[in-house]
Amino acid sequence: MDFLLTSILDGLLLGFVYGLAAMGLTLIWGVMNVINLSHGPIISLGMFGVYLLFSGLGINPYVALIFVAIFGLLLGIVIYFVAVNRVINAPHLSTLLATFSVAMIITGLGTAVFSASPRNVDYSLGSFTLGSATIPINRIVAAALSMLITAGLYIYLRRTRSGRYIRAVANNRNAAELMGVPSVRILALSFGIGTMLATVAGGLIATLFPFTILAGGTYELKSFVIGVLGGLGNPVGALLGGLILGVLEGIIPTFMPATWVPVIEFILFVLILMVRPQGLFGAKKS
Amino acid sequence: MAILEIRDVTSGYGEVQILWGTSLSMEEGRLTSLVGANGAGKTTLLRTVMGSIKPWQGSVWFNGQDISHLPTHAKAEMGVVLVPEGRQLFTDMSVEENLEMGASPKRARAHVARNLERVYEMFPRLKERRAQKSGTMSGGEQQMLAVARGIMAEPIVLMIDELSLGLAPVLVLDLFQSLKKLKDAGLTMMLVEQNVQMALAISDYGYVLAQGRVEIDGPSRELAENEHVRSAYLGH
Ligand SMILES: Nc1ncnc2c1ncn2[C@@H]1O[C@H](COP(=O)(O)OP(=O)(O)OP(=O)(O)O)[C@@H](O)[C@H]1O
Ligand SMILES: [Mg+2]
Repeated sequence: MDFLLTSILDGLLLGFVYGLAAMGLTLIWGVMNVINLSHGPIISLGMFGVYLLFSGLGINPYVALIFVAIFGLLLGIVIYFVAVNRVINAPHLSTLLATFSVAMIITGLGTAVFSASPRNVDYSLGSFTLGSATIPINRIVAAALSMLITAGLYIYLRRTRSGRYIRAVANNRNAAELMGVPSVRILALSFGIGTMLATVAGGLIATLFPFTILAGGTYELKSFVIGVLGGLGNPVGALLGGLILGVLEGIIPTFMPATWVPVIEFILFVLILMVRPQGLFGAKKS
Repeated sequence: MAILEIRDVTSGYGEVQILWGTSLSMEEGRLTSLVGANGAGKTTLLRTVMGSIKPWQGSVWFNGQDISHLPTHAKAEMGVVLVPEGRQLFTDMSVEENLEMGASPKRARAHVARNLERVYEMFPRLKERRAQKSGTMSGGEQQMLAVARGIMAEPIVLMIDELSLGLAPVLVLDLFQSLKKLKDAGLTMMLVEQNVQMALAISDYGYVLAQGRVEIDGPSRELAENEHVRSAYLGH
């Protein structure tokens, strides 16, 4: 019983980070209807960003996240202008191919530079004992930061001028232009914020598990599952979806081999697509 | 002085040409109406002015400056504002957020409070519904919001495509009165109207567009008396 409680708690905490990663994917989809296939490799870059700053320069991993976030934002803006902007009005296949190419480039370069050998950020804050449950503090911090960033994103989108512009462009790009909103810049900013969320999520995951340059792919797939759970284009849904997935991952290994986790996740994915394609919590777009 | 001038513009969609050398000019402080049958190209002309579609040839001038190739948002920023056909509201946003979005141009930001008061006075219904999601409002209410949002932009030239569409006749009269007040306050306006009689009654100058060309233009009073206009557009 205690064992189950620990697993659920563990999974729940991890779920916040999953939710954060998925938010990067769903924000971009929600604003510009682009499925960002470079999401996974960008998560990997976030992992390596924290790793390099910590191992190379001795910067505290949580401080390193700030630099990683700035890097993610700028990288996303560059990717938008180089690869996405010219095909933004083309059929979906074009944007899929464009972001897939970016994924190939990042993965190719990353493998060449870092090889595919595993790394880890050797930084532990110890653990916290609650009754018989033991929780690593890294996880608690990662969950708390994810929650904070989600709240920050929510407030940003609601309360600031550029946040309002992002929602307006997502809702009706043509009308936003007519109101004086430079929509191309707003799309680039949205893409930047999406990749920023992905790199930060990657950076947080790096403080929890060992990883390789290819590790982001796993989290990209999780982000898709979460996006479908929570409804693509819905940040709050992404967080809830993340929590559900996290808890499932906590529980499943208590009664069957952990290797079955992805199988269950994808069965869920397909089932939801078949039964409730707008997501469990409904999405604003169909 | 002509504040907005369209010179020999041709444009269309893809390969299909809609405008065939259209010229039109709007005098400062005047209300100009643009009428014509369905499919004549009125909306296309306004889209070309705003840059939602690019002019193939010809040019658009605002305040003596060639703005033909500026992006749409830059034109709104300068004070050239369109209330588009089909309303194009931010349907996921509240009424008040839509109005705030209208006030996006820098020149409008300083006057948000005054303009908000003004449009709420013009449309008390919007004030009652300020927190409602705009997409859930009735068609007429949405039309009011579209016009109000355009006024929030602090326009120098305000173009309204299909003002009276979907509105009750009483309300249209009210709205025309309000627009007259704006005009008296110095706003230059262009109305695209199905209701030709009403449009000619309140405007100073009118253009009749047919198959992408200006067929007739003149002072509205004269147009209203014109034999051809009467038989083709006024039904007598
Ligand atoms: N997005 C588009 N793509 C292709 N053709 C279009 C498009 N929009 C309009 N058209 C065509 O251009 C022509 C002119 O249309 P436009 O909307 O400018 O007419 P209008 O004068 O505004 O008519 P209405 O009074 O019905 O609004 C029509 O034949 C229409 O079918
Ligand atoms: Mg029209």
